[in-house]
Amino acid sequence: MLNLIVCIKQVPMVSELNWDPRTGTLKRDLAEGMMNPACHHALEAALRLKDLHGGHITAITMGPPMAEEVLREALAIGADRCILLTDRRMAGADTFMTSFILARAIEKECPDFNIVLCGCHTSDSETAQVGPQLAEELKIPGAAYVEWLELKENVLRMKRLSDNFLETLEMDLPGLVTVTTSQYQPRYVPLAGIQDAYDKYDITTLDADDLKLKITGIKDSPTRILKVYSPDSKKKNIEMKGPAKIIVEELLEKFGRKIGGEIQKDLKAYGQDQ
Amino acid sequence: MNQTAQTATAYTAKAKDIWVFGDYRNYFQTRVTLQLLSRAGDLAAKTGSAVCAVVFGHNLDEYVNEYIAHGADKVYVIEHLSLKKYSMEIYISLMERLAKQYMPDIILVGATSFGREFAPRVAKRLGTGLTADCVGLDINEDGILVQTAPAFGGNLLAEIITPERRPQMATVRPGTFQEIPHDYIRKGQVIRIPMPEDLPKERLKIVHYQRKPHRGQRIEDADVVICGGRGMGSKNRFKKLFELARLLGGEVGATRPVVYSDWADPELLVGQAGKHINPNVLFSFGVSGAIQHTAAIRDAGLIIAVNKNPNATMMKKADVAIVADANQLCVALIKELKKRIRS
Amino acid sequence: MNFNPCTKHKTVRKTVRKFVETELGPIAHEIDQKARFPWEVVEKMRPLNFFGLQVPREYGGAEMDSISYAIVIEEISRVCAAMGLCITVHNSVGTNPIAQFGTKEQKEKFLPKLASGECIGAFCLTEANAGTDAGGVETTAIEDGDHYVINGTKIFVTNGGICGSALIFTITDSENQRNSNSVLIVEKNTPGFSVGEIEDLCGMRANPVSSLFFEDCRVPKTNLLGRKGDGLKIGLSTLDSGRIGIAAQALGIAQAAFDDALKYSKERQQFKKPLSTFQTIQNYLADMATEIDAARLLLYRACVFKDTGKSFGAEAAMAKLYCSTIASRVTGLAVQIHGGYGYSKEYDVERYFRDAKVTEIYEGTSEVQRMVIARSLLTKPA
Repeated sequence: MLNLIVCIKQVPMVSELNWDPRTGTLKRDLAEGMMNPACHHALEAALRLKDLHGGHITAITMGPPMAEEVLREALAIGADRCILLTDRRMAGADTFMTSFILARAIEKECPDFNIVLCGCHTSDSETAQVGPQLAEELKIPGAAYVEWLELKENVLRMKRLSDNFLETLEMDLPGLVTVTTSQYQPRYVPLAGIQDAYDKYDITTLDADDLKLKITGIKDSPTRILKVYSPDSKKKNIEMKGPAKIIVEELLEKFGRKIGGEIQKDLKAYGQDQ
Repeated sequence: MNQTAQTATAYTAKAKDIWVFGDYRNYFQTRVTLQLLSRAGDLAAKTGSAVCAVVFGHNLDEYVNEYIAHGADKVYVIEHLSLKKYSMEIYISLMERLAKQYMPDIILVGATSFGREFAPRVAKRLGTGLTADCVGLDINEDGILVQTAPAFGGNLLAEIITPERRPQMATVRPGTFQEIPHDYIRKGQVIRIPMPEDLPKERLKIVHYQRKPHRGQRIEDADVVICGGRGMGSKNRFKKLFELARLLGGEVGATRPVVYSDWADPELLVGQAGKHINPNVLFSFGVSGAIQHTAAIRDAGLIIAVNKNPNATMMKKADVAIVADANQLCVALIKELKKRIRS
Repeated sequence: MNFNPCTKHKTVRKTVRKFVETELGPIAHEIDQKARFPWEVVEKMRPLNFFGLQVPREYGGAEMDSISYAIVIEEISRVCAAMGLCITVHNSVGTNPIAQFGTKEQKEKFLPKLASGECIGAFCLTEANAGTDAGGVETTAIEDGDHYVINGTKIFVTNGGICGSALIFTITDSENQRNSNSVLIVEKNTPGFSVGEIEDLCGMRANPVSSLFFEDCRVPKTNLLGRKGDGLKIGLSTLDSGRIGIAAQALGIAQAAFDDALKYSKERQQFKKPLSTFQTIQNYLADMATEIDAARLLLYRACVFKDTGKSFGAEAAMAKLYCSTIASRVTGLAVQIHGGYGYSKEYDVERYFRDAKVTEIYEGTSEVQRMVIARSLLTKPA
């Protein structure tokens, strides 16, 4: 049977992002969580594979206890089993440590996997590193930014756009892919699925001791965050108002040279160029 | 047995060298390697180190010379026919071996599609940290590389360091730094390394690749982009943006509501789920500025926004905020541009 | 007592919000203006169980608890009240009575089609001379062999123009005053059944509200819901549940108006500062938020009472009365905060304002809710 693992991250809803401009820290407790969009597409890719070939999907996430919610959502649309890695000692892990912990959990809980699917990047930290690093930790081949995949025997055929090149790749399994958001538009969650996800399933919850890990997320991470801040908007923000014709003249007066430069045309009014 | 994440491969840098990965596949579109050589030069001046390029492939002389002309003091070269394809697994193994042999202090990789997959795996093998998609690099008073990386769609910036492990690694967003003008008289040392024969078997193969066919200008590459939102009023009025785009030699982008209302093709969607653009000039007509949209235009240069509502988010993000009906202003601008371009 | 929504309810809310904001958000204004029913969205809602929210699993429903149900209706209505109306009427009064009072055969015949959304349901009580007063119903259903023959006209039927089946409140026995009413299930293609013009209404314009005509419309006796004479019992019980849906709908409209008003008050500048810095506006916002929260708690209490098998008629009436009252008030204040723009079709608040009013009128006017509440107070043993 096809054994699929989907790694999911809960991220704050962007529209509800709050941060303290003075301290530069995120008020995470205020932000509602959601399934990271690319992870959602990865789950959809797994569901399509399962629709075609049958199989079993394990969704796995690492995060605070409230991250359980995205796992329930995964169950609601068709995942079969969920694993939540939650432990204060895992907090603050960078991509190096996160991929290390995920790999140990996968080795312990579902070592017979065929394909690991991850989102190509997260909307919060945007590193796009956990997927490739997880492939390294699991010592399996990996392909990032995959847009389309097809299973043939024990080979995964994939397509992707990589730096302006359309590539077709073949990977021996077991292997790992990170999926982009360009294809695999996630299906909507059926309401009956939500009821089942909460009433009929248990979530496997593991901490560092369960994984026999002696770690501290922050201390063992190679990278350190020195500070987080909101970049100054360097915009001059000139406001113009009035009749359209007058504004257009003013606009071309002030910025005609800049705009004209882009299109190699002189847009300054009738040779008045200073 | 308890496991820890300490890997035996982490090393203390012997050399102070700064390495730049030579990513030449898309040379004409992405000059990020040259940009990194330039920045590496600035950093090297602070740490007293050498700027090195590392390049793998076949028939590389052109690139080797180019790297030296753009600031590389040394170029490590592995040339072999089998390296003609950009093969991820082989390139990772080669980089791992070279890094372990020469132990550079810093490795910089362009945040191209290839680089963003390649660098994390190299970092993992070397047991070191990596900062993604940096928009700033500097050396602090302790001689440590301070990497500035965006988060949350560019709404936040984070300063990140790798205090202990070496090398310090970063991927850097193309266009962040300026390349220095080439100097073909400049001399550099070329270190040719033979292709190792004991590389592991490839498990990922490129079956086929081709340059993406050009469908005219891509909006991602356009210097001028005209984005329209629901404030244009109707499908017919939205069409005027295409006329403006023709006049300005630009491309038209659309917001999600516009695409949903079927005023524009979904291909034109500029947003988190659509295209990310970085034009030098962006006109934004009747766009309110949902975060999914503003995140995708954060690299735009001059932004000129037109909106009836002076407090729309898009107006705050603009260099020039024009309080007017988007459609009327578009018509007036087309009229005026036609006059001037003709004259 | 725990006032935090459980994770399941949060998930239901987010899931529905995402769907409606994506699928209905961009067209809500247009379908209101054109009075167009969005079949293309119905198509997408069908497989997601929107049409069988509380129908048992065996018939293809989601079998949700009542708070989940209220959240679904609230979230749809927050974006498009007319679609919220379609869904709540279909579920609570067009479908649930069959699940509750139907025979096994009726459930097997009708529920799968209703729960899948293949068939949209409606409930017809109101007539030219009857609405609030169910005793005034003049539509007759006369026994004739194995059939009932229906004659009469029902007006202001929500989903009237799109329904595949409707529950018709009729008089089956003009002699016996107490047990004179019965409810019959009528399918759309039954000869003698026809649909009138779509009403041109102030709000909820995307819902095709219409009259339904019955001319010697013969329906088999197997379509009688419950027993002959059960009409009033079924009607009252159905309305109790229906009120939870309308309360949720009103709440959704109020929430939408508040969200827009809050956003606008922070953006709009007068005297060189945002509206939200003026104390008068702050007072408005504080009142709106308080009323919405109070309304939501009343509504959820009715839901919990319903799901725990308690009598919930007065609680549902209180929730419906209060939610609809504050919906009108909150939408009115939202227009006020928007000033002239609020009165223009350029902003959504004028739509909320129009949509809110009818929640004080249908499924029992506010006056009737007060009657129901008062009756429960006065009949309580001392």
